[in-house]
Amino acid sequence: MDSNVFTFLVGGKAGEGVKKAGSVAAHIFSSLGRHIFQMDDYMSLIRGGHNFSVVSTSPRWISSHYMKANLVVNFDKRSCETHMNNIAEKGIMVYNSDEQELEIGVGIPLTSEAEKYPMKNLMYGVGAVAILSAMIGFKKDQLNQIIRSEYPRGIEDNIRFANTIYDIVSPDCGAKFPLEKGDKKRSIIPGNVAISLGAIAGGLDVYYGYPMTPASTILHTLAREAENFGLAVVHAESEIAVINMAIGSAFTGAKSMVGTSGGGFALMTEGYSLAGITETPLLVILSQRPGPATGVPTYTEQADLAFALTAGHGDFLRIVASPRTVREAYYLTSEMLDLVWKFQTPGILLTEKHLSESSMTVEIDLEKSKWAEPKMHKDGDYKRYLDIHDGISPMLFPPSNQIIKWNSYEHDEFGITTENAEMISFMHDKRNKKLETLIEYLKGLETVKIIRGENPTNIFTYGSTYMSVLEALRYGRLNPTTIAPIYLSPLPTWELKEFKNQDNVVIEQSSTGQFTKLLEEKAGLKIRNTIKQYDGRPFDPIELSNKIKEVL
Amino acid sequence: MKDLKTYAEITWCPGCGNFGIFTSVRNAIPLLEEKGIKRDNIVITSGIGCHAKIFDYLNLSGFYGLHGRNCSNSEGIKIANPDLKVINFSGDANGLAEGLAHTMFAAKRNQDLTFILHNNSVYALTTGQFSPLAEKGWKGPSTPRGSYEEPFNPISLMIEAGATFVARGFAGDVKHLTDLMVQGVEHEGFAFIEVLQPAVPYHKWEEYREQIEYLEKEPDTYFEAMKAAKEKHKFTIGIFYRTTRPVYHKELYGEYNPIKKRLSKETRIEKIHKILESK
Ligand SMILES: Cc1ncc(C[n+]2csc(CCOP(=O)(O)OP(=O)(O)O)c2C)c(N)n1
Ligand code: SF4
Ligand SMILES: [Mg+2]
Repeated sequence: MDSNVFTFLVGGKAGEGVKKAGSVAAHIFSSLGRHIFQMDDYMSLIRGGHNFSVVSTSPRWISSHYMKANLVVNFDKRSCETHMNNIAEKGIMVYNSDEQELEIGVGIPLTSEAEKYPMKNLMYGVGAVAILSAMIGFKKDQLNQIIRSEYPRGIEDNIRFANTIYDIVSPDCGAKFPLEKGDKKRSIIPGNVAISLGAIAGGLDVYYGYPMTPASTILHTLAREAENFGLAVVHAESEIAVINMAIGSAFTGAKSMVGTSGGGFALMTEGYSLAGITETPLLVILSQRPGPATGVPTYTEQADLAFALTAGHGDFLRIVASPRTVREAYYLTSEMLDLVWKFQTPGILLTEKHLSESSMTVEIDLEKSKWAEPKMHKDGDYKRYLDIHDGISPMLFPPSNQIIKWNSYEHDEFGITTENAEMISFMHDKRNKKLETLIEYLKGLETVKIIRGENPTNIFTYGSTYMSVLEALRYGRLNPTTIAPIYLSPLPTWELKEFKNQDNVVIEQSSTGQFTKLLEEKAGLKIRNTIKQYDGRPFDPIELSNKIKEVL
Repeated sequence: MKDLKTYAEITWCPGCGNFGIFTSVRNAIPLLEEKGIKRDNIVITSGIGCHAKIFDYLNLSGFYGLHGRNCSNSEGIKIANPDLKVINFSGDANGLAEGLAHTMFAAKRNQDLTFILHNNSVYALTTGQFSPLAEKGWKGPSTPRGSYEEPFNPISLMIEAGATFVARGFAGDVKHLTDLMVQGVEHEGFAFIEVLQPAVPYHKWEEYREQIEYLEKEPDTYFEAMKAAKEKHKFTIGIFYRTTRPVYHKELYGEYNPIKKRLSKETRIEKIHKILESK
């Protein structure tokens, strides 16, 4: 184990502040100047069940949580049973001694102490923070300061409770895990906040959504920030309404975005196709959870790739890109917003629960954000679908003294419905030209991330799985060349040519290997082996590094 | 182009009720201009069906949407730029079958739109199947033994859903219909105008003309309006309900305009910087 990595895992029932305890722990680590990665595992319910939060931290950049934790804090028996195997070598497990007696671990009477306070259920999280603080050698005043800022409801009770727990832990376990300081304090955000802020930076005006995990927190984040940034954020009656409203807004020149998961996007596909023929710039955030159908709402998967690449009936240009990290989610969202406006076509930012809802320390160079700006009509008589060399017709928005007609039927250049044979093929050709234009443009962007290594086998991966792979390689001290396409449609085949006759392995989270098929079919790559995980859980870096070792 | 007509070839059947609606809109626009509503600010949307072809024929800007979904396009237009006056053309299948939820929710939200429902009581473009407004027993290609469903009452349905201007007109009375359209567009809020629109392959004009009656008095209250909507027969035309209620976009952001007042990139970046600092 990398001795600089420290992992804290806290588990209990929904409603006991498990996730909050995880994020307070993350802030404690980042206040030490360390990097963090926080993954929350929760069930689709509001009270009860079993939830846990894992936070891994290191003085260097860290791109995954580890499922072997140095400190495990369990609020209840179920958590203890679940996490028996998640204790790292020389790790400590804390259990609730009011619920059970164990041979190993440190028993703390969490329930009987919490019951002394009116908000007893909310005390468990505070207790976890106190346990962590004692074990990493925080002084009581440091602990109190944290409690004050992070648990403002019932401050005095919280502090008293935290101190009681701290005093129980300290004699035997105080300062067991002293943590080396990192270089500076960084912001901690989850992927969906990065996506929301990236969209705002890119020029977002309106956002429409219908709640669906793991995309809902984009709706929540933007609704919260609507007034601050002058956005219109609307929770509509269905995903069908959502996409059609967004398209209506785009017709007025508003930078529109929608967000959903697989099931919601399935409802949006007719509208997605509408955006194709009307040449509506529209960005869809598609955050995947395991499917098919309702699938597993609060877990992760990468099985909507093939769907995203072909969604919507008919021939039209679809742009699909997938961010690898939380930081990249920020840049890529603004870049995608810019691209859909430049090329007047719909696009998908494809991501997963693992990126949407995991938090990381980030440093973002805000100046690098893109700003969506369409090609505008200058003067003279306006034709919405004017055919010019690059296929991109200049835009104009109402109110205007020109007539601007966007049409869902096949249409002529002015925008009037047509059934004329020549015009039908003419318009297909006009729209198809945009692909060539787009490819030329993408050649100037970073569309594939390649990290050169020494091992003769290459590893292909994409999306948030990239982060798991990097951490696994670092853990296992493995050094293959890693190739992660950011753009998936069009697939940057011009960047992948050199790997054609090499030995390639894919790592992805789809049971049928959708990404593998894409690389084989579109880039003509030979893939020797695919490492897959499709149990809803992200890869654990230690397990993954063993699997990689087997195939290298 | 002259008379608000485009160069598109008109393909409605001769004698189609849609002509009366087409003429009424073209009459209403100059009247609205006289009242200070700029033509440049008027945009139209259509769904799919015979009714929707009006999109191609009217020389006005707009969005020709999907079957059943143009009401959502209209809402998105209004939300993004509230300066625009949206006239939404819908068929009875478009607005009350495929798009029922959107129509109900637009009324519930009191979206500031004018919703014109071309009621020909059939799916005309798809060869005359029964529609949500067809009489029970309508024999169409999908219901050869007659339909089994009672029709909706669109007037009471829309009052109940939250529309703040609800009227019925007749494609055969252009003057009356023009006046309803002018009032509907002027009304701040969701204005629903059902238009009795004979489709010649399926109906006879005489049957409409014989039964048309004018509502003698505009009801004053919600209950009077509901009573009239329920008790008067469905060839009764006039304004059934009119009230005031805050419109959706003003509830959302007050006297704002997301496009015209868009924050600059620099201001956004500054604010994002502050947010990140606090995380
Ligand atoms: C999603 C979808 N389903 C079905 C159709 C086929 N369709 C076209 S028009 C129409 C019905 C039109 O009826 P209505 O809205 O009453 O318009 P009318 O033709 O009577 O004016 C249907 C079902 C379609 N275009 N899209
Ligand atoms: S079928 Fe009916 S609605 Fe369609 S054009 Fe003919 S008359 Fe008009
Ligand atoms: Mg109809």
